[in-house]
Amino acid sequence: MNRNTVVLMVVIVLVAVMIYAGVHNSRKSGYRAYANSGDKLPAGDVKGKTAPDFTLNTLEGQAVKLSDYRGKAVLLNFWATWCGPCKVEMPWFVDLQKQYGSQGLQIIGVAMDDSGKDAIDKFAKEMGVNYLILQGKEAVGDAYGGVLGLPTTFFIDRNGRIIDSSAGLIGKGEIEENIKKALSVEPESKGTSAGGQ
Amino acid sequence: MRNFGLYASLLLLALTVTSRADNFLDTPGKGSYVSFEPVQTVTIVPGRPSTVQLHFRIGSGYHINSNRPGSELLIPTRVKLMPPSDIMAGRITYPAGKTLSFPFALEEKLNVYTEEFTVKALLSSTRAAMPGKFTVHGQLHYQACTNNACFPPKTLPLQFDVRVSKHLASSRSTSTHRGQSPHIRR
Repeated sequence: MNRNTVVLMVVIVLVAVMIYAGVHNSRKSGYRAYANSGDKLPAGDVKGKTAPDFTLNTLEGQAVKLSDYRGKAVLLNFWATWCGPCKVEMPWFVDLQKQYGSQGLQIIGVAMDDSGKDAIDKFAKEMGVNYLILQGKEAVGDAYGGVLGLPTTFFIDRNGRIIDSSAGLIGKGEIEENIKKALSVEPESKGTSAGGQ
Repeated sequence: MRNFGLYASLLLLALTVTSRADNFLDTPGKGSYVSFEPVQTVTIVPGRPSTVQLHFRIGSGYHINSNRPGSELLIPTRVKLMPPSDIMAGRITYPAGKTLSFPFALEEKLNVYTEEFTVKALLSSTRAAMPGKFTVHGQLHYQACTNNACFPPKTLPLQFDVRVSKHLASSRSTSTHRGQSPHIRR
């Protein structure tokens, strides 16, 4: 193999890596681009940070705190009835809740609709949702970095720390991997667990 | 030297693609995914409706629901005009959207606007309207998505000028320019 061929191969690999990095970065960083346009930024890399606690109502009007689920792995999903990509994830969440619920997974869908709880309830029933749906509030979205686009998902371990997050639709395989990671974290004793959640 | 040119071109291509990928989610305006193109002043003759064409441009990589998106769950694109007194907004006509399927729902067809679209609105003035320039305010309500995410509904403010000319029948009469009416109809 002559020198030119080696150099050419290196350049091709470099090009491939740069293309992959660009596309991957644009997908993972989600809506950071809107920072320059006046919209609120997400809080950067949230891995390892404590998930902000909140209290929201279920569709039946019962108040629920995120910290009530300490000890469980939580998939916190911001969605809306008008969001097409969110609809794609919902059957996956139904399956994953069935599959991993007994191991300690709780999926929580926070509906960021203005359309009222009846419309949300009807939609959730049509989608066969078997996990917790809460009525979202802007303040909760703000606490989670603004949630500028939907779906936005946070994977939270049993100690209330964020394992990973995603902005926009990602694959079911990636969601499941993050659920497994969140479930694999052992709960800390009360004295050593992260505060906040 | 020939090889150097090839390598340089490949690197340039990589940098371009990387930069395009990073910019894919850029918003075209201030917190807005749709921009309103300037409208030339529309002339209205009292008693005769005139059509105003409102041109909108959608940011690259985005689509918005059309006025008839095909599902009650989807938020339709709507224009609302709030003309001053003596100016009336009539029928608003929306273009047909493109019927497309997206990676997030291949089996479902959505009716959307992409790139640019034009909404037509009829404007007329009362016979009592005095000749002069008036500003019409309005808003475009829409909801944008990319191929893998959707964004909360937005309202884009609109503004354009109309000029009311002399009524044909009363063109002989001498009228004083009255200007913008203080009464904004909402």
